[in-house]
Amino acid sequence: MSEKRIVLKNCEVIDPRHITTYLTRDGFRALEKAQKEMTPEEIIEEVKASGLRGRGGAGFPCGLKWELARNAPGDEKYVICNADEGEVGTFKDRYILQNDPFTLIEGIAIAAHAIGAKQGYIYLRAEYHHLLDSLVNAIDQAKERGFLQHVDIDIREGAGAYVCGEESALMDSIEGKRGEVRYRPPFPPTKGLWGKPTIINNVETLMNIPQIILNGASWFNQIGTERSKGTKVFSVSGDVKRPGVYELVLGTRLKELVEELALAEKVKMVQVGGATGRLVPYDMIDTALSFETILGAGAITVFDQSRDVIDIVYRTMEFLAEESCGKCAPCREGTEAMVEILGRFFRSEGMEKDIRVLEELSSAMMLSSLCGLGQAAPIPVTDSLQYFRNDYENRIK
Amino acid sequence: MSKGQEGVLPQGKEQENLLVMLERAQSEFGYVPEEFIVEAAHSLNVSISEVYGVATFYSFLSTKPLGKNVIRICKSLPCYLKNSQMIIKSVEDEIGIKPGETTPDGKFSFELTNCIGACDEAPAMLINNDVHVNLTPGKISQILKSYK
Amino acid sequence: MRKIEKITVTIDGSQVSGCEGMTILELAQQNGIDIPTLCHSPELTPIGACRICVVAVEGSRTLVGSCHTPITQGMVIYTHSPKVLETRKVIVELLLASHCGSCYMCEKANVCQLRKIAADLEVGLPRFQTRKRYYPIEDVSPYIQRDLSKCVLCWRCVRACNEIAKQNVFGIAYRGFNSKVVVDFDQPIDKEVCQDCNVCIDICPTGALSKPREVGEEKKGRPLVISS
Repeated sequence: MSEKRIVLKNCEVIDPRHITTYLTRDGFRALEKAQKEMTPEEIIEEVKASGLRGRGGAGFPCGLKWELARNAPGDEKYVICNADEGEVGTFKDRYILQNDPFTLIEGIAIAAHAIGAKQGYIYLRAEYHHLLDSLVNAIDQAKERGFLQHVDIDIREGAGAYVCGEESALMDSIEGKRGEVRYRPPFPPTKGLWGKPTIINNVETLMNIPQIILNGASWFNQIGTERSKGTKVFSVSGDVKRPGVYELVLGTRLKELVEELALAEKVKMVQVGGATGRLVPYDMIDTALSFETILGAGAITVFDQSRDVIDIVYRTMEFLAEESCGKCAPCREGTEAMVEILGRFFRSEGMEKDIRVLEELSSAMMLSSLCGLGQAAPIPVTDSLQYFRNDYENRIK
Repeated sequence: MSKGQEGVLPQGKEQENLLVMLERAQSEFGYVPEEFIVEAAHSLNVSISEVYGVATFYSFLSTKPLGKNVIRICKSLPCYLKNSQMIIKSVEDEIGIKPGETTPDGKFSFELTNCIGACDEAPAMLINNDVHVNLTPGKISQILKSYK
Repeated sequence: MRKIEKITVTIDGSQVSGCEGMTILELAQQNGIDIPTLCHSPELTPIGACRICVVAVEGSRTLVGSCHTPITQGMVIYTHSPKVLETRKVIVELLLASHCGSCYMCEKANVCQLRKIAADLEVGLPRFQTRKRYYPIEDVSPYIQRDLSKCVLCWRCVRACNEIAKQNVFGIAYRGFNSKVVVDFDQPIDKEVCQDCNVCIDICPTGALSKPREVGEEKKGRPLVISS
C-alpha cells in the first residue's frame, strides 16, 4: 500500500483545539528554524529543491512562485491561503482544517517570512463557516505563544461562488468585489492583491512546508515520481464502500485508491479532479496519479456500472454554467450552450450534428476562455466523447 | 500603452470591507436590504449598482428576505449518487414548499446548493451554518423540528 | 527617465519591433494587421472579456487576448491562423445565439460592430440554441434608450461612464449567463441618474444603447457591405 502521512501526520492525533498538543509533535519548530537558522532566500531554495508543486489543481512549482514574489519590488506583499475548496467532490481541506489548523498556520507563517509579507489571509468558503471558530482559535493561540509576531493572519469568508477558488477571482473577492476573473499577465506574484506581490497557495500545499523545512528538500524529494514529489491527499466519494480522505505517495495507481482502499466494485468510470477533472474509464484505472498524468485537486468521484455517463456530464455542465462568473463570452455563453445540447442528449433528443458542434465549441472554450474554469469546462464533454461516444450516438433521435 | 485593469472599478482599499459588510447584513437581517445597500454605497463611496452587483454575485447573499432558517441541500454529483433527490422530496413534503421558496410563516427558506464539501458523508445539507450529513428521508422531520 | 526598450517579435511571419509595454493588438495595428475586437476600446482600460481578439502565441497552451497581453522579446504571434479564426467564429456565433432582435429592426444595424465582425468572419446562423437574453426596452430617460436584449456584456458603457464621464451609473449584477449591466437596483435608467453626455451611447458596439429617436427616423450609417 502506498499510504503515507506527511500532510495528515497530525490529523486525528493532536487536539485541534489545543496548541500544546501540536507543540509536542515538533509544532512551530520549522518556523523557528526558518527564522533563526535560514535566510528567506535559503527557505525559498529549500522549497524549490523539494520539488513541491501546488496542490490546488494547477501544479505550479511552489518555490518558484515564492521566489517571484520575494524578488518583486515593494514592501507591501501578501500571502493568501486558498481554503475555498469548491471543486465538486473535494473535502480534503475541510478534513485538514478540522483536524490540524496549526500546521497550516505554521506554513503560512513560514511563507510570509520567506517572501516578506506582513499580512496573510485565509480565504474560507462560506460553506465552511462551521470551521471558522476553530480556525480563529488556532490563530489566537499561535499569536499568544508569540509565533505570529512577523505576520497578521486574517480570515476572509467567501459568500458562495465556486469561481472564487480561481486565484484572480479570489483576490477580487477579498478586495470586496464580485469574484470576477482577471486576465494575466500580470501574475499575482508580481501584481496580486491590491496590485501588490501576492502568493496564493492551497491549504494542502502550505501543509507540506513545515516538514520540508524540518526534514530538508532531499528527504521530500525522494518521495513520489520524477516530476511529482511528495504525497497527495485525495477525497474519495461516490460509489465506494469507504469514502473519505486518503493520503498517498504521488504516482500511486488509481486502481489501488479506488478498489483496494475505498473498496469500490463494478466501477464504470472515475472522475479525477471534480467538475473540470478528467474522466477515466475502467479500462484505464491502472493510470498513475501524478502531475504527469492526472491529478487535479484530488477529487475522486467513483461511478459504478449502473450510472449514466450523459447524466453525469449534463449535471456537471449545469454546475459549471451556474458557477461561471460571466465575465468572458466563451465561458458565459459556451457553458450555457453546452447545457442545452447535453440536456437534449439526456432526453434522448440528440442530433447527428450536435457531436461535431460540441467538439468545436469545446475547442473554442478551451483555447479562449479567460480562466481555468472556462478552459477546463469542456473536459467532461471531450473525455466522454472520447471514451463513451456510443452513449451519445445511442441518444440521437 | 495598456493600462492596468484596476482602473475599471473604484480604486482603493475601502471596498475591502464591502463583502464583509454584506455578509454581516445577511446574517443579521436574513438578507441584504435595499437601505443597507444605499448606506454601504455611501459609506464606502462606491455606486449603488456596484454594491448591488456584489450582493447579487454570491449565492449565499440574498437581496430578497429569506426565512428564519435557510435549508440548502447539496445537489452536486456525490450527493446525487447517494439519492439527494429523496432528501429534496422529503424536505418538500415536510415543509410544503419547493426549492427557491419560503414557507408562509417565514420559518424556512429552501434552496439547492452546489457541493458543500461533505461528499464522504453524502447526502448532506446545510441549515444555516450547520452541516447535516448521512441524511435519510426518515431523519428529515427530526432535524427540521430542531429549528424553531 | 527610464529608457524605453525596443522589443522585436515575429507577427504573422514578419519581424517587427515595438516598445516595452505595448500590447499585441497595438503592435498589430501599427503594422497594418487587423484583429477584430469587441470589448476593447483604445480609450478604456482593457478587460479581456469578449475574447474575440485572441491570437496564437508560440509556446502558449491557450490563445491569448491581444488587447491586454504585452509583447515580449522574441514572441512569435499568429493573428489569423485557422485555429484562431475558428475560435473567433465560435465566440461570435455564441454571442449571436443569445442575442435578441433582428438587425432589420435595429437602428444601429449599419454601425453595429458585432454585425460587422460576424460578416467579416462569415458567421452564419448560430448552431447554438441557448436561452435568449430578453429585456424590455428602457425608454424612460430623455437622453438614453437601453435595449439590453442587444447587450453583449462588453462592459464598455460601464468603463466609459466610470473612466471618461467620471460617473458611476452602471454596474454589473448577477452571475454567469444572467449577468447584466444594471443601474442602481436593476432599475430602468432615468434622467435622475444620467446626464446628456452620450459617452456610453457612442462607445456601445451594438444597438443596446442609443439616442431616443422619432418613429420613421433613418438608420445610422451606410448599409453594411460584407467585405470580400
